[in-house]
This record gives sequence, structure tokens and C-alpha cells, in this order.
Amino acid sequence: MMLSVWLPVLALMTSLLAAVVIFALPEQGYRLRTAVNLGAALVKLGLVVVMVWGVFRGVDYGVSFTMAPGVAFVLKADALSMMFAGLSAVLWLLTTVYAVGYLEDSPNRSRFFGFFSLCVASTMGIALAGNLFTFFLFYEMLTLSTYPLVVHRGTEQALKAGRTYLIYTLTGGAVLLLAIAWLQGVAGDLPFREGGHFTENDPALHTSLIGIFVLLVAGLGVKAAVFPLHGWLPQAMVAPAPVSALLHAVAVVKAGAFGIVRVVYNIYGVEASSVLGVLEPLAWLAAFTILYGSVRALWQVDLKRLLAFSTVSQVSYIILGICLFGPVGAAGGLVHLLHQGIMKITLFFCAGNYAETLGIHRLDEMDGAGRRMPATSFAFTVGAFGMIGAPPLAGFITKWTMGTGALDAGMDWVIAVLVLSSLLNAAYFLPILHRLWFRDPPRQWPHERRWGRLETSAWLYWPTLVTAVVTILAGVLASLPFSPLSWAELIVLREYSP
Amino acid sequence: MPPEALAAVVAVCLPLLYPAMALLPSTRARVMRFALPLLPLPALLLAVFSDPGWQLDMPWLLNGGLWAMDELRRLFLLLTAVLWAVAGLYAVGYLKADHLRRFCVCWGLTLAGNIGLTLAVDIASFYSFFALMTFAGYGLIVHEGSGEALRAGRVYLVMAVFGEMAILAGLLLASAAADSQMLADLPAAIAAAPQKNLVIGLLVAGFGVKAGLPLLHFWLPLAHPVAPTPASAVLSGAMIKAGLLGWLVTLPFGEAALPGWGALMVVAGAVAALGAALLGVCQRRPKTVLAYSSISQMGLMVLMVGGALADPGRAAVLFPVIALYTLHHGLAKGSLFLSAGVSMPTAAGARAVTWLLIALPGLSLAGLPFTSGALAKLAMKEGLSADKLDFALSGYLSPLMTAGAVATLLLVLRYLWTLARTQKTGRNPPALAAGWLAATGMSLVAFWWMPWQVDGLVKAPVWLPKMYQLWALLWPMLVAFILAAGALLVSRSVKKR
Repeated sequence: MMLSVWLPVLALMTSLLAAVVIFALPEQGYRLRTAVNLGAALVKLGLVVVMVWGVFRGVDYGVSFTMAPGVAFVLKADALSMMFAGLSAVLWLLTTVYAVGYLEDSPNRSRFFGFFSLCVASTMGIALAGNLFTFFLFYEMLTLSTYPLVVHRGTEQALKAGRTYLIYTLTGGAVLLLAIAWLQGVAGDLPFREGGHFTENDPALHTSLIGIFVLLVAGLGVKAAVFPLHGWLPQAMVAPAPVSALLHAVAVVKAGAFGIVRVVYNIYGVEASSVLGVLEPLAWLAAFTILYGSVRALWQVDLKRLLAFSTVSQVSYIILGICLFGPVGAAGGLVHLLHQGIMKITLFFCAGNYAETLGIHRLDEMDGAGRRMPATSFAFTVGAFGMIGAPPLAGFITKWTMGTGALDAGMDWVIAVLVLSSLLNAAYFLPILHRLWFRDPPRQWPHERRWGRLETSAWLYWPTLVTAVVTILAGVLASLPFSPLSWAELIVLREYSP
Repeated sequence: MPPEALAAVVAVCLPLLYPAMALLPSTRARVMRFALPLLPLPALLLAVFSDPGWQLDMPWLLNGGLWAMDELRRLFLLLTAVLWAVAGLYAVGYLKADHLRRFCVCWGLTLAGNIGLTLAVDIASFYSFFALMTFAGYGLIVHEGSGEALRAGRVYLVMAVFGEMAILAGLLLASAAADSQMLADLPAAIAAAPQKNLVIGLLVAGFGVKAGLPLLHFWLPLAHPVAPTPASAVLSGAMIKAGLLGWLVTLPFGEAALPGWGALMVVAGAVAALGAALLGVCQRRPKTVLAYSSISQMGLMVLMVGGALADPGRAAVLFPVIALYTLHHGLAKGSLFLSAGVSMPTAAGARAVTWLLIALPGLSLAGLPFTSGALAKLAMKEGLSADKLDFALSGYLSPLMTAGAVATLLLVLRYLWTLARTQKTGRNPPALAAGWLAATGMSLVAFWWMPWQVDGLVKAPVWLPKMYQLWALLWPMLVAFILAAGALLVSRSVKKR
């Protein structure tokens, strides 16, 4: 009994404590800091695994206390929480390993890793938040803890990107707070609940419920980079590679998407949302964003910028998926929460490897890099094909499940969006793959560094390969229990038959 | 796990994991080439020794995996394994040192896809292997790195990606209509689906890119010739058939009469069979002529696909014939493509024998008696005979097939002609010669022991064709010879002037 209260708290506290300890450590304490970082990441992963098993068996993890009259702080672990928490825990471990290698010898590492841990603690809080208020607390904490990471390099460009980021996200946060307050006024403090709260609602409330929904989605859509609120994301790619990886894969954009999932499923309820008529417009917006992001990506010459626009596109798959009224489509959207994370982090790791090892930043510098860095290029190839949705990779499982769900729901037009998006993804990823493998390398790389036996530092090498292999396995083994797809189906099962 | 199932896993995983050898240091990675002919051997054993009917259930794979073998898939697997084995042997002698590892990696992956798609019975595995073959095949096409190869690769890739998307959309719609993840459930569901025509259209076009359907074929005469010769052989002999297999396992054969689609396919087949010949005889390079010949031959198979779509009662008869024709054409075309890279010996006797061995598979394509071609052509004629086929266009099929036979031989003659002008004299690397000889032997000799006699449905007499059948086989060949001789005379006299 006690354990069910303490586990979520402990999971949250590991990253938080790690952050505090790291801030306190001196800058030179390289070994100790790395040990604390990795130790905390491993402990957290262990806790999350235990909780995943518990949630699977139906254990209720949770704790709540009242902060002010009518406002409660609630931590709770349901299947959806664990999906996000699991992603956060796995990727935190990998990204930490990666960041240790990436930031070798660079200044201000103490500050970096402190905020890094804080950022992960925020994602954990977002995952475990049991009501909108708690969610909002961690959501804003995430904004504040990622800002120092985005501007870490301290360059003019980084500071400018950081400013844009803050303007966007703080405004979004304000809108979100307004929406939460309005909802509080209309319906009181609502805990997240499978099936939602508004299945039998008063028609008189419809207008305000729709208004609140629009505000909620607008507030959350900033981080989820939904068109036209995506402007900050391509700029934020000036951050160091591990930050971009974390930002794009789990932390910021996913927090927005996750919030939208919470609102649709656990506040409104998918049936009520459908009755209110808010899902269809949101689906169209998501579909537009999917295509818009891909079209913009076509014209990019900078690898990380291209990946950023690809994120704009891919995150909207999640939103589109949950707007498909029906369990299969929903599973397709939710599973992309994990799939996009693992694929995109692979690609960003690769981008970091190219930059650190060969000094490559632009697409036209990538010619022949496959020969010099076969493992990284293999990982990039896997990630790119995953994004295109080629079978048997993770992205294919998403597309197939969503496509089936769309047809079940009678929204056949979604198929056209999926196909078009795949074509666009192929149009900007395949030329890169051609460059990597079929062009001759230049006589000299822009800025080459050598590390002994491996093609790059082992700290950068292994996380990249691991995420690539996971991308393959998530697709090939999609029907195993505890695969991303199976877990998404479990969430959906609980949502549709609460 | 039954031994066949285990063999199936090995047959797919061996070429799939073989690229890992590329991780060896580059000096040792040279041995990769010697493994090429060994990669398809498990698949070959599986095709030869296992009885169709086994299945391998893998509920954890993708959306639930199921691999199995039936009579039809067995022949496709056999063709695939034989062709890749002889082409692999040829490649050992053919390949040069540059980009060897990359070529071997692409070869292994393409082969894994090609083998896997003949075994896969669930939609997701089938589509996975199909896509693997498509994308890895790009590496084989652009291997030489010339401007021409890159251009061919680009055209191939663009068309292939569109094809993949059409297949994806078609399979999604069909799978949702069938509420099943298995290929076997698709035909009936498609036949009953309200969007029947859309689904059929998507699948016809999607697989049609691979099969070289007219207007979807543009990549083929560009890509097949520029690839290294062993790759051309498998592209034109085996991979082109993957599109055909895709049709056979998804389209609603025998479920509903589809005279409209049947007519469309017959027209497409006719255009391919004759149009490709027209374009092909104008080509100057031997391998381009052969590529057009492949389109032309696929056109004849598309005629049968059309007949089977139009008349549901006839599909069961036509399927074994299509499989037989596939096997025959694949082996013969493989041998012809490999002969394009063979150097001529200097001794006159050896030269004559070499020319004979090059020409025989070509003549087999044209239906020379006592070859696999005669068997296949007679079976096709029987399968599409007008009095048994319930189809408005059935009267046109017989003349079309005859015209196709003329076209076939014209292309073969044109190939021999262009080959004679470009062929080098000298010694062949032993593996190269062995690969070509093996391919030729497979087409001319080993074919007769292959299990094409499905359910006794192929009833064509083999060794003793009746007189009228001999005549039916020979007169189109005579016409082709006369046409070719005429063309030769005309061109001579034009040149003299």
C-alpha cells in the first residue's frame, strides 16, 4: 500500500534530486557528476519498469493533497502516464550517456546537466500529473528548465532562439492557465479520468466547453508545434544535439501532444469531444500541419533544421490519431508518441555524431559520410525509413494502425494524408541517404576528430545504435506484449471501456 | 517447429544478416563476395525438398506474422533461389574491388526481400519484404556510379516510391474491408467491397511498377541495363516477377467476373508485348534490348492475368500456367542477361558452342520445340483458348499470342545481333563462366526436373508435340526470321547507297 504512494513520488524525485546534487557539484567533478547522472537515470528506469508492471496488473499508484481550497496536487499513474514516463525514462538514460560524450571538454557542464535533470523531472511530473493544475505546474517548470538548455551555447543566435522560445511558450502557458481557470469555474477541479467527465453534459455548457477546448488546445499546441504555433521549434535547433534530441523526442513537443491527449481523453472524454464537434476541426488542423511541416522540410539545407520541420509534421500524427474516433486510430496516434520519440532521437543523435565527428551541419556536406561513419549512417538510414513509414519499422506500424483506424471511423481522407506525407518524407530523406551511401566523400571533412577504434566517441556511438535497433524492434516485434503498440492498445482499451 | 519452418527462417535470415559481414575490417570484407552464391541455398533447398502446405506462425511479428508455402509460391521461390544463386556465382567473377562491400550489402538485403516476399502470407511481412527489395535494389542499380546509372536510379526510385504508396493504400483499404491481416482474405473482401475498383486500381498500378506495365515501365529499360550484369539478371528474371506475384496474391481472382479490369489488362499486356518489341528492336545496346524483351514477356503474362480477372472460372487453370511461364521466362532471361557479360573464346569451335548456348535460351523464349518455352507457350495457348474463356476479348488473344511470339524472337535476334557487335574476346573469370553456364543449364536442362507440373493442370505434351502444335510454334518463328532477314537486307542496301 505504501509503495503505491511512494513509487510515483520516488520516480519524480530521482531526477529532481539528481538536479540538486549536480548543481551543487563543482564544475570539475566530471566522474562524480556522470555517476550521479547515470545512477539516477538507472534508478528511475527501474522504478518506471516496476510501475509499468504494476499498472499492467491494475495497481493504482497515486498520491494527492489539497494545496488550496478546490485546488489539489495529484500524482497518479495510469497506462497513459506510464507510456510517457517510460519514454522519458528510457530516453533520459540514453540521452545522458550521449550528452556526457557530446559535451566533453565544453564549459558550464554543471549548469547544463542540472537543468537537464530538471527538465526530465518536469516530463516525469507531466506524465504523472493527475489533474490539469498539477499538469500545468510541471508544464511551466519544463518551459523554464529547457530555456537554459536552448541558450546553452550563449551565442547571439542561441539567445535569439531562446527569446523566441520563451515568448511562444510563456504565452502558450498563459492561455493554458486561462483555460484551466475557466474550466475550474465551469466544472470544478477535474482529475484525469479514463473516459473523461463530460459524457452526459448539459447542452447549455456546450458553448463554454467548446471555448475552453479551443483555448486548451491553443495553449498546448504551442509546445506541440501545431501550425501556426510552431515558429519557435526550427529556431530552437541551435541547442546542442542532445538537447534537441530530448526536446523533439520526449520533452517539449511531446509534452504538448501528451497534454492534448489528456484533454481529449481524460478531461472531455473522446465521446463528448466527438459530440461537441471539436475533433473534426482538430483532425483537419493536424492533417494540415503534417503536410505543412513536410513541405517546409523539403527546402531546408541544414540537417537539424530539416529534422525540426519533420518534427512539426510527425507530432501532429499523434493529434490526428486521437481525433480518429475509434480505438484503432487512437492506438495508432498514441503509439506514435513512442515511435516518433525513438525515431527522432535516433536522427538527432546521428546529426550530433556527424557534427561532432566530421563537422557536418549542412546536407551538402554529408556526401560519402556512410563510408567514414557506417554505424551512424546505418542508424540514420533506419530513422529516415522509419519516418517515411517504410515497413517493418516503427513508423510503418503507426501508419498502418492509423490508416486502419481512419477507415474504421469512415475518415477515408486520412489515407490520402498518410500517403502524401510518406511521399514528402521520402522526397526529403531519400536524397540524404543517397548522399550518405552513394556519393564520394570529400577529400577533407569540414572539421574531423578521431577517436581510436570506433568511428566516433563510444558515448555517442552506442546510444545512437541502441535507438536505431529499438526503432527496428518496435516495428518488427509490434505484436509482443509490452511493445509500444500493445501498450497503446491497452490504453485505448481502458479509455473506450472505462 | 517443423523443419520446413526452421529452414524458412534460415532462408530469410541468412541474406538478411549477411550484410553484417561488412563490419569486418575492409581487407577481410573482401571475402564477402565469395558468400554471394551461398546466400540463396537454404531457400533453394526449401523450394526443392519441402512439400507445400507447411506454415510458420509468428504471432509476435509485426501485425501477426504467418509464412507458408503453396504450389504457386513454391515455383516463385524456386525461380528466385536458382536465379540469385547462379547470378551470385557469376558476380564472384564479375565484381571489381571498388564499393564491393556496398554492393554485397545491397545484394543481401535485396535477396532477403525477394525470398521473404514469396514466403510471406500476412500483409505486413509481405509488404515489408517487398519494400526491402525495392529500396535495397536501388543500390544495385546505381552501383556503377555513372551519370547514366544515377539517372536511372532516380527514375527507378521515384516510380518505386509512388508504387509503394499505391500498394500501401491498396493494402490498407483491402485489409480494412477484410478486417484481416492475411493476404488470403483480401481477394474475397476486395470483390465484395464498395470501393472495389479503387482498390484494384491501386494494386494493379502499385505492383505494375515492378512488373513493367506500360506507362509504369519507364524505369525498367533505364535501370536493368545500367546495373552490373548479375544484378540485371536478377532484376529482370526474379524481381520483376515480384510485381506479378503481388497481383496473384491480392487481386480478386476467381471471386467475381471483372471483365472491365480483364479488358484493361489485356490491352496493357498487348501494348507491352508488341510495343516493347517495337521499341526494343531499335535499341543498340544488348542489355537494353533484353530489358524491352522483359517488358514484352511480362506483357504476355499480363494477358493471362487479364483473362483470369475476366473469367473467374478460368483463374484456377491459368494460375499454374502463369507460374510455369514465370519460371520459364525467369530462367531463360537470367541466362540471356548473364551472357551479355561473357567474353568469346578465340577458337572457332568453342565460339560456335558459346554462341549456341547464348542463343538457345533466347530461342526457348520464342517457343523453340523441346525447350521450356515450347511448353510454356503451348500451356498458355491452351489456357487462353477462346472456346474455354468466357470473355469478350477472348477472340483476340490467340492472334495476340502469335504476334507476341514473333515479337519475342525479333527481340532475341536483335539481342544476338547487338551482342555480336559489342562482345569482347578473351578469357572469362572461372566463376563468371560457371555462373552463366549454370544459368543456361538451369534453363535448358534442369527445368525439366522442376516441380512445375502443378496438380496435372499443365497438360501440354512435352516431348512429342503433335504436328499442328509444332506448326503453331514454328510459323511465328519463321515469320520473325523472315522479317529479320528482310530488315537486314534493307539496312545493307540503304548503307550501300
